[in-house]
Amino acid sequence: MAQFLLETVWLVPCYALIGGLLALPWSPGIIRRTGPRPAGYVNLVMTFLAVLHSALALIYIWNQPARELFIPWLSTAGLNLTIEIEISSVSIGAMLVICSLNFLAQIYAIGYMEMDWGWGRFYSLLGLFEAGLCALALCNNLFFSYAILEFLTLGTYLLVGLWFSQPLVVTGARDAFLTKRIGDLFLLMGVLAIFPLTGTWNYTEIAEWATTAKVDPTLITLVGLGLIAGPMGKCAQFPLHLWLDEAMEGPIPSTILRNSVVVASGAWVLIKLQPIFSLSPLVSTVMVGIGVLTAVGGSLIAIAQIDIKRCLSYSVSTYMGLVFIAVGTQQDEAALLLVLTHALSAALLVMSTGTVIWNSITQNVTQLGGLWSRRPISGIAYITGTLGLIGFPPLGSFWALLKLADGLWATKPWLVGIIITVNALTAFSLTREFCLIFGGKAKQMSERSPEVGWQMVLPMVILFAFNLHLPLVLQTMSLLPSWAELNKDIALLLIWSSVFGCSLSGIIYLSNIPKPIRLPIPALQNLFAYDFYTPKLYRMSVVLSVDLISKLADILDRFVVDGIVNLVGLASIGGGEGLKYSTNGQTQFYAFTVLLGVGMLGMAVTWQYWGDQFLSLIF
Amino acid sequence: MQLQYFLLLAAALFCIGIYGLITSRSAVRVLMSIELLLNAVNLNLMAFSNYLDSTMIKGQVFTVFVITVAAAEAAVGLAIVLAIYRNRDTVDMEQFNLLKW
Repeated sequence: MAQFLLETVWLVPCYALIGGLLALPWSPGIIRRTGPRPAGYVNLVMTFLAVLHSALALIYIWNQPARELFIPWLSTAGLNLTIEIEISSVSIGAMLVICSLNFLAQIYAIGYMEMDWGWGRFYSLLGLFEAGLCALALCNNLFFSYAILEFLTLGTYLLVGLWFSQPLVVTGARDAFLTKRIGDLFLLMGVLAIFPLTGTWNYTEIAEWATTAKVDPTLITLVGLGLIAGPMGKCAQFPLHLWLDEAMEGPIPSTILRNSVVVASGAWVLIKLQPIFSLSPLVSTVMVGIGVLTAVGGSLIAIAQIDIKRCLSYSVSTYMGLVFIAVGTQQDEAALLLVLTHALSAALLVMSTGTVIWNSITQNVTQLGGLWSRRPISGIAYITGTLGLIGFPPLGSFWALLKLADGLWATKPWLVGIIITVNALTAFSLTREFCLIFGGKAKQMSERSPEVGWQMVLPMVILFAFNLHLPLVLQTMSLLPSWAELNKDIALLLIWSSVFGCSLSGIIYLSNIPKPIRLPIPALQNLFAYDFYTPKLYRMSVVLSVDLISKLADILDRFVVDGIVNLVGLASIGGGEGLKYSTNGQTQFYAFTVLLGVGMLGMAVTWQYWGDQFLSLIF
Repeated sequence: MQLQYFLLLAAALFCIGIYGLITSRSAVRVLMSIELLLNAVNLNLMAFSNYLDSTMIKGQVFTVFVITVAAAEAAVGLAIVLAIYRNRDTVDMEQFNLLKW
């Protein structure tokens, strides 16, 4: 039985894919009479199967060596593309997290999408996402990881664009697709350039190759930069981060999935490619630089947002930036742990705010307030998510951040300072949001705000319990450091930064300081609120240049290329129009032409007998 | 007296005929120019016949035929000119440019 479950673990992505396909018939155009709800239920059943299968498989694979499955896909001249599946406790564990979160998000969506007709489309896309993410977790081959990442990019486009009658959704989906595509295309360059070096796309073999590799440092730096560009776009890192902000136009259940796991798909590939990056110090530096920039920038921007969903989306960028720092400093385990703890906490935060949005309508935190007494479950879930995300023992992210900071303490102490700063800033922003939504007095929009139905509360509570149990689970799996070897200085610093951020924010937003808060320098506040004016930055740089070049190319095509060909036609027409006047109707002119022709012909024929003498006579 | 002089004279007459043929505005003068051309040809034929073929004188026979055909052609030509004149009341060659582009 155990053997069978492990051998067939590749079925897990298939369940989700089948679920996605089965949901399609309930699109409003196909089954016209019964409504779209069965689409969700079918998907839920298939996802439950996936959860069950991966959970059982995880039990059997635990503490066992990883094994691989090979499925030949294409073999052409000199190139064997084999789908390599890695069955290890990490990959199956990741799959379990993905499937469970998707299962909870789908239950949540049953409540949230109550008054929506688009279940067929929505659930089939959720199924596609689950299938893609599970396949990515299993896949041990860079080439197929790239293919899956592209599928997910397309999926993001379709899922963000679910309610395509809204203009902001259309532009958001466009940006999400293009930004991620750009990253993916650079990734493709890296994927293609690494094959001649390593001769394989298998992650394990690449890692082995990297241990003894002797390559041109410039070459490996360029390849490494190409390879980080893909995850950079996927993980919404600076400067490819605007799409995540705009992707918040999509429905919240998909946001749960996106904030927790989809952005982590880039981090997953990044972690797997870490041996390559460690070959080039410049690439590691760039990764750390991007991570620091995004982490600090994202947490500052998150503080200045007034949209609930956008506050959270910048925190996601921030934490993915921390993952970049972790991978850039060769701390794979800390990165994986951070991805796991972030996924659970971020999902809980999105679920909690989603329940608030669902019956308070507005997403503007300045119009909400005073929900704590009436929405305790959502409030507690939010608090747990917050504490789970920032460094607050004993909850999850504390251990991940501690591990990361501990690894950096000896080599790069300034990065520890960054992590602690980011932690404090995130604590500040999340507490600010909590105080604005749940604290203070009720405003007009939140005057009457009942708790939502069980379909949304149940997954939230389950996830809440997951978050609380995560440290215990990690401890039983002996993934946590023992108390004796704990770096207590860093632990204290982390706790103090969290407490400092939370309490400062609490004091500012729960006291009687006049709201809305104004910074002494309004320009600075606007700079953060408008995301460093990134849309303008894009429009002024890349979009402008591509736009200008394409307009130029269009003009060139329209006038020069078309013009040359049209000129030939015009010349023919003009020639005909002009030369017809040679037929002028005068018989005598014709006679003259005939004689002229005969004379010329005679001269040409007899030229050889007299031409030279004639010429010498003249000249 | 040499053959060349006859040939040069005939060529000169032919050129005069050509000039008349393409510059005259009167249709009758065009016909007259054609007669000049034919006479230049006749001169050629007679000269060749005299200097190169004085026993069989085939050129003279040709000349007789040319004169005959020229007479017939002039008759037909004048008839055509008359036919046009009846319709258009003019023999100006520059008025007969209806069949253009």
